[in-house]
Amino acid sequence: MEENLIEEGESSREGEVAPALIVIHPRDKSAAVAVGPELRVYDIAGNCPISLSDDSGGPSHSESIRAIGFGANGSVFASAGDDKLVKIWMTDSWHCTKTVYAEKRVSAVAVSHNGQHVVFADKFGLVWAIALGEGDEGQAPIDNKAVPILGHYCSIITSLKFSPDGWFIASADRDFKIRITVFPKRPRKGAHEIQSFCLGHTDFVSCLAFARPIDYPQGFLLSGGGDSTVRLWDFISGRLLHTCDFGAQAGLVKSNGTEMEGGSAVIDVCASCDGSLIAVAIQRLLPWKKVTFPQA
Amino acid sequence: MSKNNNSNMRQNGQSARLPRKRFYRARAHSNPLSDSHFPIPISPADVDYSQHYPHFFPSERSDDDNGSVPPTKVRFADIGCGFGGLLVGLSPLFPDILMIGMELRDKVTEYVKERILALRATNPGKYENISVVRTNSMKYIPNYFEKGQLSKMFFLFPDPHFKEKNHRRRVISLQLLDEYAYALEVGGIIYTITDVEELGDWMRSCLEDHPMFKAVPEEELEADPVVKLLSSATEEGQKVARNGGQTFRAVYRRIMLEDG
Repeated sequence: MEENLIEEGESSREGEVAPALIVIHPRDKSAAVAVGPELRVYDIAGNCPISLSDDSGGPSHSESIRAIGFGANGSVFASAGDDKLVKIWMTDSWHCTKTVYAEKRVSAVAVSHNGQHVVFADKFGLVWAIALGEGDEGQAPIDNKAVPILGHYCSIITSLKFSPDGWFIASADRDFKIRITVFPKRPRKGAHEIQSFCLGHTDFVSCLAFARPIDYPQGFLLSGGGDSTVRLWDFISGRLLHTCDFGAQAGLVKSNGTEMEGGSAVIDVCASCDGSLIAVAIQRLLPWKKVTFPQA
Repeated sequence: MSKNNNSNMRQNGQSARLPRKRFYRARAHSNPLSDSHFPIPISPADVDYSQHYPHFFPSERSDDDNGSVPPTKVRFADIGCGFGGLLVGLSPLFPDILMIGMELRDKVTEYVKERILALRATNPGKYENISVVRTNSMKYIPNYFEKGQLSKMFFLFPDPHFKEKNHRRRVISLQLLDEYAYALEVGGIIYTITDVEELGDWMRSCLEDHPMFKAVPEEELEADPVVKLLSSATEEGQKVARNGGQTFRAVYRRIMLEDG
């Protein structure tokens, strides 16, 4: 469903301008687009733009938005970026209900499966959690502050994704590392239990996606990075199952006349609903490419 | 890795004199945040331990054995091993256990390497179970060790990084303990000691706050032969003892995370 939506390569060429971001509501209700500090949402079903309103009392985004995302059930949406603001939106009314101030610029966001927590990563490599709604076990109302739950040691985190069952959170960084952490019931106490590390990339990791084939509901993890590869992982054990090297395939592209010397980093990857198709965006190569991994 | 191998080979053929520290002068501190350039294994499977412990990895014959015996794995890690005093002290206590020192400073690593080779040459059959790598353990622990591979980790006299701004450079922190808990087996033990009271409090409180570590009771510590080495075996520890200084110790056991 998302294959045609990740052509970010085009805008990222213009140096400082943040790449445009597009995400689709998990049940295809709406599409959200971020360009620079602008956030726009389009009602797919109603075929009209949605106007956003802000009840949070916080400021609007003033600098580039770097990360946007829906939760698995689609009720919560989060946006964050260079202005160190994390804004949380309820998608039924598209009201921003919470604006949280981060300490550093934000590089990734994700919403937990039950819509109870928004997690985001900052430029210092820390992942923070914001609690929404009721506190843990009905304790005192939760304040607006984010708490750090895990950290990649001083490395910029490039992607945060929840596993299909919501039990794990995957975080990727610029030091070639992907960490799979058990997402705890009470995240504000920290996410300390590391399930695995997925190690194999030989350059920065830029993107993560989970694929969930029908016959393997736990799913697989896909990752892409600066080494021009997309890798398929058994994220429970951290085992590398398959590597698809686009650096080796760059020659194919060359032959049709386009200039192509090095620097073909994979910048985004996503999987179709049934996990049978993987779409990959590659910097300075073809805008997107269909890949089929052999079924593991 | 290959560079290390060459120097090993060369040294094996040479005299067995212990290296002299004065030829390996190094700064006392190193910034763990700076990106250094040294080879980093892509994953634990990528580390060739036969180079480190040739005695435990008989050459080539393993092919004939059909790999029936799983390769011996490193069980003890001395993080920031400095001049290697602890490794040398531990080696005869646990002759069948592989131990590795991890050190960020290049010259110090070279010294430890030479020291181990000299010890092996002068004491045939001994000190075969210890080795050293130059790496930034704050970044690359998962590149060296599989989940639950280690039974002991040592953090002796780490850099105190007094300034609050630099606390994130400390080798013990709540976040890094997640990685140490990952590398340690359940029941494994983490040993920390320092002569800086403030850092001692910091390390203890990090361990105390981490849900996957539990303090080892005092009576167990008294029976543990390793504990005595913490202050006596290392160069830093001896210096503190010479100056009549105090040390602050925190020894914790890796436990299962309780749900909820």
